[in-house]
Amino acid sequence: MTELGQNLIDALALGSLYALIALGITLVYTVMGMMNFAHGEFIMLAAYALYVLAGLPFGFAVAAALLTGSVVAVLAERVAFRPVRNADLSAQLVTSLAVAAILQNIVTVAVNARAQSVETPTALSETTSIGGLMVPNLEFVTLGLTAIVLAGLGWLLYRTRTGLTMRAAAENFDMARLLGVRADRVIAISFAISGALAAAVGVLIVMQTGQVSPTMGLTPVLVGFVAVVIGGFGRIFGAVIGGLLLGALSSLLGVYLPDGLVPFRDAIVFTVPVLILIFRPHGLLGGEVGRARV
Amino acid sequence: MSSARLRPRSSALVSLLIPLALIALVALVGATGTPSLEGTVIQILCNLIIVVGLQVFVGNSGVYSFGQLGFATAGAYVAALLTLPAAFVLLQTPGLPDFVADANAGPLVSTLIAAAFSALLAAVIGLPLMRTSTLAIPISTFAFLIVAYNVVANWDRITGGNAGLVSIPTTTGVGAAGLWAGVAVVLALAFKWSPSGYRLQATREDEVAARSIGIGLMRERMIAFTISGALCGVGGALAVHQSGVLNPTTFYFGATVTTMTMLVVGGARSVLGAVAGAIAIAVVNELLRGIENGADLFGVISIGEAPGLAAIGLGLILLATMIAMPNGLSGGREAGELPWLRRPRSSPPPPLPAAEETDGAVPTARPAPGTLRAEGVSLAFAGLRVLRDVDLTLASGEVLGLIGPNGAGKTTLVNVLSGFQRPDAGTVSLDGASVAGSSPARLARRGLGRTFQAALPFPHLSGLENVAVGAMGMGASRRRAVATATDVLTRLDLTELARMPAGAMPPGSQRLLGVARALAIQPRYLLLDEPAAGLSDAEGEQLTAILRNVLADFGCGILLIEHDMNIVMKLCPRVQVLDDGRTLRVGTPQEIQADPAVIESYLGSNFLAAVDA
Amino acid sequence: MLELEGLRVGYGRIEVVHGVDLDVGEGEAVGMIGPNGAGKSSILRAIFGLVRPTAGRAVFADRVLTGMAPEQVARLGLALVPEGRHIFKTLTVEENLRLGAPANGDGAEAMEATLERFPVLRERADQRADRLSGGEQQQLAIARALLGGPRLLVLDEPSLGLAPKMIETIYELLHGLREEGVTMLLVEQNAARTIDFCDRCAVLSTGKVRAQGSREELQRNPDVLRAYLGRQP
Repeated sequence: MTELGQNLIDALALGSLYALIALGITLVYTVMGMMNFAHGEFIMLAAYALYVLAGLPFGFAVAAALLTGSVVAVLAERVAFRPVRNADLSAQLVTSLAVAAILQNIVTVAVNARAQSVETPTALSETTSIGGLMVPNLEFVTLGLTAIVLAGLGWLLYRTRTGLTMRAAAENFDMARLLGVRADRVIAISFAISGALAAAVGVLIVMQTGQVSPTMGLTPVLVGFVAVVIGGFGRIFGAVIGGLLLGALSSLLGVYLPDGLVPFRDAIVFTVPVLILIFRPHGLLGGEVGRARV
Repeated sequence: MSSARLRPRSSALVSLLIPLALIALVALVGATGTPSLEGTVIQILCNLIIVVGLQVFVGNSGVYSFGQLGFATAGAYVAALLTLPAAFVLLQTPGLPDFVADANAGPLVSTLIAAAFSALLAAVIGLPLMRTSTLAIPISTFAFLIVAYNVVANWDRITGGNAGLVSIPTTTGVGAAGLWAGVAVVLALAFKWSPSGYRLQATREDEVAARSIGIGLMRERMIAFTISGALCGVGGALAVHQSGVLNPTTFYFGATVTTMTMLVVGGARSVLGAVAGAIAIAVVNELLRGIENGADLFGVISIGEAPGLAAIGLGLILLATMIAMPNGLSGGREAGELPWLRRPRSSPPPPLPAAEETDGAVPTARPAPGTLRAEGVSLAFAGLRVLRDVDLTLASGEVLGLIGPNGAGKTTLVNVLSGFQRPDAGTVSLDGASVAGSSPARLARRGLGRTFQAALPFPHLSGLENVAVGAMGMGASRRRAVATATDVLTRLDLTELARMPAGAMPPGSQRLLGVARALAIQPRYLLLDEPAAGLSDAEGEQLTAILRNVLADFGCGILLIEHDMNIVMKLCPRVQVLDDGRTLRVGTPQEIQADPAVIESYLGSNFLAAVDA
Repeated sequence: MLELEGLRVGYGRIEVVHGVDLDVGEGEAVGMIGPNGAGKSSILRAIFGLVRPTAGRAVFADRVLTGMAPEQVARLGLALVPEGRHIFKTLTVEENLRLGAPANGDGAEAMEATLERFPVLRERADQRADRLSGGEQQQLAIARALLGGPRLLVLDEPSLGLAPKMIETIYELLHGLREEGVTMLLVEQNAARTIDFCDRCAVLSTGKVRAQGSREELQRNPDVLRAYLGRQP
């Protein structure tokens, strides 16, 4: 029983992490219709902010990392993505791939291609016992952070005018503009939030692994993409559900797979969504591809 | 012998020879250079094969796949394991089955087996992946790339795991690499110009129009995906027999970005683009690597070692291409289509030879009589009732006019008849057999042709190709499709459009071409959705004449949605009026025009007084 | 107030509006009627910056609209009630209205006035907008456009797809607005009602203005009928 509980908390923690990734990707997709491959590099750059600022108070470093994610995302939108805003989906995807390659290798040139270790507060690596369950503190942080982010995002989207314009733009971009909603501003805000979400994920990954590397964003962004696809393109809650499912699946497979198959966990995790897509080509929540026009 | 061709022979020849010449040139540089240069050139040629493989799928389908390097990985491992000397098998891959371990295949056999294995893998992977949506394919193929990586990296006893394989025989010479590259180019062009290739290109140009001429999206994508997988496998197999080492990251994310950059920078729609892009980026890459390793730029600027610089450069090139030159260096054109390789513009495009008598059996055969019938069709969108219990009967050989105010439901009815929309209630039958739930492609193959309110041409294909694809959608061979298309264009007096890209035609011509394309499927029923909308008066006249020809020559039943009553009057003995989703009247044009209810539906009751006055 | 000067609109190589001149004066209600494919919606798209005209321009209160983004046009005081309504289905009725209201303080008053005018929207303020009937959705679209206090209200096919009774309701509403002096450009296929309603109308077919004038002038003009039914005079 306790083992099951333990495994479920682990699954929820990993699922939360994946949900945060998928959320960041979906936010940009809903307002701009672009699957942003460079999201992984936003994660990576925020993690490097922690590495560079090592030695400063950890809280300060984390704040700086969040800011880094936001600023890089907004800059990338301004420089690279705005010119292809009206291009087709594939062209936008390839553009974001180029941005990803550039950012990744800038870090390789500036720091090193190899992984670097980062000191994180020791309290994070300890565990707390709750009713017989030994829960790593990091999982508390992950769950707590996800809860805070979801609540914050919910507040922003559903309680502020900015959020209202974002939801309107997500549903029908042209109509929102006809009501005076500034397209550039809404997209910039979406990138800023998406970048901050990426940064939060970067911080969590550093806390978990204690290291950074230029390619550390690759797996998360793919996880995020797959979660977005199974959740249904452009569905904000679909992304959360897709992320939770994928994370839980990955975590539970790690525990329950026979020993010989454990190394192939990722292969299985990435195969399942494809199976879902065969039966539900538009994902679990069945989002629409493309956007309405006036 | 010289029947009409889809493209002038000279153009096809130039399109084939220029890429081959480029490859020969590169191979020659390798053959005469230092051993180190030779090795570099072989790797460039192997990459080129993979890029050409990528083009077969991405270029023709317009859908990006990020998983093709997974097939290069598969080909490379198969080729390596088949040729690994016995002494190294025990050390590196103790779990290898004996028949593979003892195979001792030669370079050619191992490459062929690698190609076959990759093709098989692509077919198996493609079967589920090609069913997903156009946007999901890039992502699910990426998932496949990760799965492939994960498997080879962890299946230690077979693949040597993360440590990879060493001491693989280095048998790929510059000659072999060049020959294989040539084979890849020939194969890619042969596919592009085959009926299957044309059908796939049609789906790239316009998915909806492609479905309306009977093209099944999934099937065509599958074929290209499999060929692409085979070519990528060949590239991987040859590359590993040059370097002698292989590990799970050899063909992973980095290689995916590099090959994708090559394809996009060259121009994905053409094989020339794939070849030119692969060579151009490889040259730039070598220069950047020189800088990376520390070099004096023009003897002035001195740069220290900076690994990663080359990749930044490539990324910037890819980014700049996407923003400023989305069609790439080649503009998506084959060599024979490049303006500066064609004869001067002053000479008109070569005339279209007439269809040969021997090709006969082209559409003159009158279709058997029958009817297309809709009964009690109702449909609502989000509570709005668009069609309410509509009946419609169209007999072969007749022209039925369908008119009504905006929002009356005319187009929706055509969508229902052609399978693009499922009705909530009611039935559609073709010659007495219910066709409920049939896909548009299936209905097209059963003889239902249609056009759209927008012309929906295949812009990058020529007029002749546009029409020929219609016949290919029905399964016609290339030769037969050309004969049919030539015949249709001749009958409609549109031969001057044959050699022009459809995207460059004036709007009126595009619409007429749309009618020709629908006729090339040799339909028994033809549904025309406002063919004259936006046409000039002269073009309207031409359309009327064309439709008369169609009636006389093809004998199919025509449903004509049209608001220009001048055209309806001239062509339709019978007119059906829809208003607010209901059939308001059926009658002759004269009856309809004088009918108070019809005038009221368009103009309101006040006009009646004015009309009578 | 609004002037179109030689406006031409095309998509790719396909030109659908071949040089249209039209003006709407302050306080006027002007109609634009014509059959399907006449180019009416394309003209509106060009006015609102959703498509760039290939030639000619639109001028509003001495400001050239051509080249502006849709949000800039909207902020000058032009409001569009588009064909098909385009309400935000995933948002509530109230949220739809809030999007139309100005972002600054005096939104509350305008909101109250609007809910007064559209009691059904007050009743259903918290429901998702896609739960409304077609007529209610049309009212919502009009209310949303009015909330910004537009200087020119443009309506594209407001009666399309509505039951006759609901069309009456919508037109009663429009009559009320006209009496309040709201300047309007009304695009309709339903010629009769539009001609009755407006001060002046322009009749379009295949991208050109075929006839223009007051109610009396148009009802005697055979070109109008020909534009619709191709009837020979």
